[in-house]
Order: sequence, then C-alpha cells, then structure tokens
Amino acid sequence: MTLWSRLRSWAQATLRRSRMESEMDAELRFHIEAFAEDLVRGGVLRTEALRRARLEFGSVERVKQEGREARGVNLSGELLQDLHYGQRVLRKSPGFTAVAVLTLALGIGANTAIFSVVNAVLLSPLPYADADRLVLVKEVLPHAGPQPVSVSGPDIAQIQKLNHVFEKVAGFRVWTYEFSGRGEPQRVTSDRISSELFDVLGVQPIVGRVFTAEEELAGPRVVILSYGLWQRGYGGQPGVLGQTANLDREPYTIVGVMPQSLVFPLPGMAQGVAADLWVPLGFTKAELEDVGDNFDYSVVARRKPGVSLGQVNADLQLVARGVLETYEKSARDAHQSLGDFQLGMASEPLRDEVTGPPRPTLLVLLGSVGLVLLIACVNVANLLMMRAAGRQKEMAVRLAIGAGRFRLLRQFLVEGMLLAFLGGALGLAVGLGLKDALVAGMPRSIPRFHPIALDWTVLLFSFLIVSLVGLVFGALPAIWTSGTNPNASLKDGARGTSEGLDGQRTRAAFVVVEVALSMMLLIGAGLLVRSFQRVLNTNPGFRPEHVLTVSMDLPPAAYSRDEQVVSFYKQLTDRLRQTPGIVDVGGSTDLPLLGGWTHAFTPEGYRSSPGAGLNMCNHSVIYGDYLEVMAIPLLRGRYFTEHDGPGSTHVLIASESLAKKYWPGENPLGKRLKWGTAESADSWLTIVGVVGDVKQGPLDSVTALHTYEPYAQLGSAPSLRIAVRSQGEPGAAAAAVRAAAWGLDRQLALGDVRPMDEVIRRSTAGRRFSLAVVGAFAVLALTLAAIGIYAVLAYSVVRRTHEIGVRMALGAGRADVVRMVLGQGLRVTAIGILFGVAGALGLTRFLESLLYEVQPTDPPTFVVVLLLLVSVVVAASYLPARRASRLDPLVALRYE
Amino acid sequence: MDKQLDLLQGTLDMLILKAVSLGPLHGYGILLRIQQISKDRLEIQQGSLYPALYRLEHQGWIASEWGESENKRKAKYYRLTAAGKRRLQAETENWNSMADVIAGILGTKPEEI
Repeated sequence: MTLWSRLRSWAQATLRRSRMESEMDAELRFHIEAFAEDLVRGGVLRTEALRRARLEFGSVERVKQEGREARGVNLSGELLQDLHYGQRVLRKSPGFTAVAVLTLALGIGANTAIFSVVNAVLLSPLPYADADRLVLVKEVLPHAGPQPVSVSGPDIAQIQKLNHVFEKVAGFRVWTYEFSGRGEPQRVTSDRISSELFDVLGVQPIVGRVFTAEEELAGPRVVILSYGLWQRGYGGQPGVLGQTANLDREPYTIVGVMPQSLVFPLPGMAQGVAADLWVPLGFTKAELEDVGDNFDYSVVARRKPGVSLGQVNADLQLVARGVLETYEKSARDAHQSLGDFQLGMASEPLRDEVTGPPRPTLLVLLGSVGLVLLIACVNVANLLMMRAAGRQKEMAVRLAIGAGRFRLLRQFLVEGMLLAFLGGALGLAVGLGLKDALVAGMPRSIPRFHPIALDWTVLLFSFLIVSLVGLVFGALPAIWTSGTNPNASLKDGARGTSEGLDGQRTRAAFVVVEVALSMMLLIGAGLLVRSFQRVLNTNPGFRPEHVLTVSMDLPPAAYSRDEQVVSFYKQLTDRLRQTPGIVDVGGSTDLPLLGGWTHAFTPEGYRSSPGAGLNMCNHSVIYGDYLEVMAIPLLRGRYFTEHDGPGSTHVLIASESLAKKYWPGENPLGKRLKWGTAESADSWLTIVGVVGDVKQGPLDSVTALHTYEPYAQLGSAPSLRIAVRSQGEPGAAAAAVRAAAWGLDRQLALGDVRPMDEVIRRSTAGRRFSLAVVGAFAVLALTLAAIGIYAVLAYSVVRRTHEIGVRMALGAGRADVVRMVLGQGLRVTAIGILFGVAGALGLTRFLESLLYEVQPTDPPTFVVVLLLLVSVVVAASYLPARRASRLDPLVALRYE
Repeated sequence: MDKQLDLLQGTLDMLILKAVSLGPLHGYGILLRIQQISKDRLEIQQGSLYPALYRLEHQGWIASEWGESENKRKAKYYRLTAAGKRRLQAETENWNSMADVIAGILGTKPEEI
C-alpha cells in the first residue's frame, strides 16, 4: 500500500509535473489569501494584509522546492533543468558546440564503421549450427615441410572410421563444371562432398534431400543445387527435383536444394569459393586404392560435445598411425618400401581458418581508428577545459548563491553527456556512410558471410563509447573547477582570472598526447605507403598490359580423345591469330599471381643436403606462344617450338632462380631433371631454355622456382588458361575469344574472362584497402591535431594578451613575439614527437604482417613523418603567433 | 498570550496527522487547528507546513482532494488514510511512553537514586 502510493505519487509528480506545479501554486496562493483575509478580519488594511501574509509565510519558492523534494521528483526534475540549462549553454556557443560535436561524430562514426566490419567478420559465429564445434582436419607430411596440407582422398574414410572424437566427418574438394543447357553456358563452382557434409554443418535442404552413403561412391550422377543456382537456372520452381542439370555435358539428377543462407565453403577457407552446387565425392575404385597421394581434399568435422581441441589432436595422432598402416600395406602389395615416410594429423577450429587471414588487417584498422577517437576526445577535452576556465566565474556565482558542489558536478556531467550523445547521434549517421564506403572497397580477402550492418552489437558498442566519452568529458571540467573558491574567483574575476600553472600544463599535455598519437598513426600509414610502393614496384616477371586471359575446360564427355582436345586448341589459336588486332595467342595450365600446383622433382646428379626435404617447384604446361604473350623474357637457350613433341627429346624451360639454385655457376642448358624421386619411372626432361622469374603467387609473395613444359609433349591437357595479347584494349579481345570458342563449340563455358592488369590490381586490393583506410585515419588525425594545437595556442595568446602587451611595451619586437608563440608550439610538439617515436617503435611491429620489404623502424618513413608533422605544427602555430605580434601594446595592456 | 514554544524536531508530522484525524482540513485550516488546540502556544513556521504535508501524502498517510472552502474558494483538503490512522496511533503511543520516561528522569530527586 505505502509502496504503491509512493510510486504513484512519484509517478504522478514526475509524469504530470506541470499539473502538480500549478496545484501547488493554487494551494499556496489559497493559504496566503486565506491568511490575509483573517488579518483583514482582524482589522488590518487589505493591501497591508497581503504583504504581511506573504512575509510571514516565507519564501514560496523554497517551500515549493522542498515540496518537490518531499515528493521525490527532485532528481528527474533537476535533471531536466540541468538538461535545459546545458542545452542553452551549448546553444550559446555554437562555434564550440559545432567543433566538438563534429570532432566526436568523426571519431565515433569511424569507430562504429570499423567495428561493424570487425563484428561481422571476427566476432560473429560462423553461419552454421553450433559452429564452435567445427574443426578442419589436415595431414602433416614432415618430409615435405611442417605446414599441414590437405588430406589424401582415401584417408577421409579412415578418419571417419578410426576417430573417437568426432560426431561426423566429411571431406570435400572444390571443383568446377560447365553448366549448360540453361541460358548461356557458364562455369559453376561446385563442391565434391561426402554425404555427411550437411550433417556436419547442421544444415537441411529446403527442397528434396541430401546425398546417401551409396551415392558417395562413383555411381548415380546426382546433384544438390544452391539457392542461387536454383533461382538463376530453374526460376526457383519446386518441381526441380528429378530434373537434370547438364554438368560437363553429362546429365545429373537434381535431388535437393539448399537454403539461401548456406554458404559453403566459406570465403577465406583454403578452397574457399562459395559453391553453386554440390555433387558426391564419387571416388572410383582406383582413386580409393591410390593411397598416400593426391593430398587434395579438405576435411571438416564436428567435435563431440565436451571434447576439447587437445583431445581431438591427441586422437588424431592415433588415426594418423592407422592411416599410415594402410599406406604400408599398399606399398607392400606393390613390393615397394615407404622409406622414412611419416604422416601426422592436426586440426584447428574452422573459425580460425576463416578469420585468421583477415585478422591482422582488421585489428590494425581497429587500433588506428581507436587512436583517431582518442585524438578526437583529447581535442574536445581541450576545448571543454578552456571553456571551463572561462566559466569559473559562473561556477563561483552559482556556488555563492547556494548551489551544491554535487549539483555543479552533475551540471558538467549532463553537459558532457549532451555533447557526447549529440556527437554519437551524428556519428551513427557518419558511421553508416563510412561503413557503406568500407564495404564497397573491401577486398575479397576479408570474408563476408554475414551482412555487415549496424546491428545491436554495433549500436551497443557505439553507445558504450559515447557514454564513456560523455562521462569523461563531464568529469574532467568538473574536476578542474571543483577547486573553485567562490571568494577568490569572484574577487579575481575583476581581471580575467590569471590562470594557474596547472591549466597550462594540462593543455600542454593534451598537445603532447595529440602529437604523439598522430605521429604513431602517420608512421603506420607511412610504412603502409612504403610497402605498397614496394609491391607496386615489384617486377611480376611478365608484362600485363594488353593481355586478356580466359579459362577453358573441355569436358571429357565431349572431348574423350586427345586428338579432339588438340584439334580444338589448334583451331582456336589459328582463328584468333587471324583476328585483326590480336598479336599473339598462347595458353598455360596456370597463370601468374593466381597460384599453382607445386611438384616434387629430382635434378640429375644433384645431392641435396640431408634433411632438406623434397625439391619442389611450380610447374606449368604451356601451349603456343604463352611465354611470348606474357613477355616472360628468355635469358638463355630457346623458347619451345613446334618441333617439341611426344616424339622428340622431352624438353623443359626453367626459371632463372631454379637454374641458379641447382646449377650455380654452370650452364643449365642441357641439364636434366625428372618428376618425383630419383627412383620414379618418369622420363628425364632436358632444359633447353631459361626464362625470368615470375610471381606465381601474389606480388608480395616469395618468388617460387618454376618450370615450363610444352603441351604437345604431354599429348593433351583439356584445361587451359588462354592468354591473348592484343593491340588495343584487352577487353575488346574478349568478344573475339568468345566468337572463336563458340564458333567451335556453342556449349563451352568460358571462365574468368579478365585482363591481366586486373589480376594485378586484384592481387593488391587488400593492401590498397588497408592503406586507404589507415591513410584516411592518419590524415584525419593530423587535421584534428592541427586544430588542437591551433586552439591551444590561440587561446594561450588571448590569455597572455596582457603579458604580451607588457613585453612589447618593454621593447620586445614583433619577431620576438612570433618566436615566443611558435617556440611554445614547437617545444610541446617536440615532446609529443619524442613520445610518438617511442610509441611508434613499440607499436609498428604489430604492423609487420602488413608490411612488405619495409622494416617497422624504416628511418626514411620516420624522418618524412617528422618533417610533415613539424611543418603542420608550424602552420597551425603561425596564425596565433601572427595575431600576437600584431597586438597594439596600448590596447593589450588595457585588455581584461 | 503565553510564551510560544518552538516545535520539537519531528513532531510536526504527528501534529498534522492528529489535526486531520479530527476531520478533513485544508493546509491553512490545519495550521489554525493546531494553533487552536495548542491555545496558540506552539509556533509553526507556515512555510514548513507544506513540505510536511507533501511528505506525508507521499508516504500514503494522508490523502488529498480538491474541495470548496468555507468562503466558497477552491482549496485542497487533506484527510487521514487507514495507514495514517495506524501511524498516528503508533506515534502517539511512542510519544507517550517516551514522555513518561523523560518526565520520570527529569522528575527524579537526589534522594531517589
């Protein structure tokens, strides 16, 4: 009852505040008038009675105030008052408010945007049921290196059989197919998968079913469509089940459709291209018997509940031993020995695999945007402090007429919060815009399996930042002014309170912090710029201009005989060579920058040092004038000719570094090597030429050893990346390639039609992105710091007007005054730079993974940033300095 | 008029509860009634009456409603609630026993110890 009535009274008082106020007015008025009437009745004059009644009643305002307090409405009421007052204060100095709110909005907006990306990529769970239990299993071949590799096909079944730690295990391998008969033929990305894959992921088809265990072995051709391909190719009809999909010219029966939300494999995974469709692994008997080879499959597994990663890895060692036994048995059957062949297994959370690569970049971005927010906060704190100094008199007056110190503190807090939330609101708008720009520019290397949005987590993050900022901003000036002694301040006020050393020191400290933080960001950005330059200046080993590449994979069903393949490519290149504008045509099994398979080889007579492992190199089978089209320079010997074929000596072209490594100081021409180990049955290949090194991986990767073999020597290779050098725009050649290819085979799907310079651009996209973002932050930081330094010096000149006047009156020249102000700015900057350099030396090592051929302590970067910073400080100090020097000593002396 | 006494700390609430227990009254009326009962021997700060009234109302011991005064004016009347009645009773007992004890102590003569 009591509690209820209290609540009701409070609620009424709070909600119907104006009514309560007017009732209180009416009640008190009634009292005074009734009292006055009694006095009149007692013989006092009416006018005099009212005056006496009021006098005796005392302060109506105080009674009302106590009345409000008695009803417990005071807190919210006063808070409203504070808000109202705060809002008036902010409105009264629009310049200050605009600068502060805008600064905060930039800081908060940038943080919101970056955090929305970090949240979606690093913090959100993977889009599968109970995704934390998913791990990737890999095999380790100690003789080939410590890095885990993919799994050999037949081992998938062994892992499924031998492990004790997984609920389900599934293997998969990315594959591409020609998808024809439904509009223009296209290359689709597909996944060959174990039947358990969708159980491992915890996903159900929306139409139809998943594969059965029987379908996993080569047999019926069945396919499950992704939602996208279902819509694209079949108009999303539910009747799609039982229809056929034409893959590589063979009919596959559609048995299911997966939901739109399913993305697998995830971008960022080793074989990470989201699949358009899934087919069973379809191992043939021969493939299952080919143990210990073709480590080409990925394995994903779901841990049993409560099983730790450590337990998984311990169990996998036993599994690896079991798998090795199958190798030994098979080797015994073939009357061979495995030698010192070893096999290990390792697993890591699926999440680490996906979020690992983009993590350093994103953390660097998050760190730099945090620095920007810090600088923004320091700037605003600086402004607030100057204002607090100016408001000391106001505070003194309020204290003198009876405001409590708590009330003043609260006033500051409310003002700080008001600023922070205004900045935050605008910041959200800024963040939304920045986020869209970020997402648009985001490279593929940052996986996107969740939409990047300002969701609740992001909003909460921004809200926390804003609240923290508001709290600090409220507390700081409150602390500075809380020492205010009303008496001293009011007396002092006559001559613009001479500022204590404390205030000057604090402001100097702010500038030091700003300069230091900007310095760190600038150095970070500088290092990224230098790395980017280095990468762009890297010689890729070929000339990308005017080169167009197109992937062609001739389906075995239609090109079962080698002659068919050979004839297709011969006719294609002949036709293209006759096309006006096309200079030269060639083809290769893999293209620069896009990676490729590595092969083990044995150079003749080469004795490798013990424990050095296998000799590995990249290997391309090339067709036509590939080396000429790519302009990969011939250093020794010759390019391949039409005479190199199955009938003649088997030939090879080696890259410069391979030749140098295995035949240093010798003529590599005429030397021989063969695939596999020395005992392998392959024939020797004779080196007839040496060409320049080519970047097979991204521009910033290590240059791999490389060999080239002529296509004709192998009989046939149905998959080629056709490269065309044209006179004009490479895009124009695309039409010619299409016409030529479809003239020969209308059903053929052409994949990855792109100019080589676009491939280069794409390979640097990640770098370009982080450079653009960190660079933008650094520029923002520098601008904010310049504003901060300008504000501090300008303010200090105003406060020192009198002093400057005295100095000038005593004979200081204008140059002396300029020197004094500039000196003040530079001294503080110098300290800031010292801290900045120290901080940068400590922090830039976190950048190391993003740098390329640049040390984190790169002296030129430090020097350039230092010069930049000093010139900006001089520019920012010059205006206040000039203003100080133009002061009229007479006016300055009288200045108050 | 006898010398006026200052109100003991904390007793105003009790007096208000007693005053309105005799029938609904407006603020000014409560003041008059206390003065009348005390035969003008208690000095009550007029301004202090209202915060006390609001406090008591907030605590649910008295309730208020707008009514018409003797001279046909709108006035806010207060009356005792059931909770207020219990409160008044408790306070009265408490006060009486306290007064007895204090009076006993103050009335002690040296030979009684």
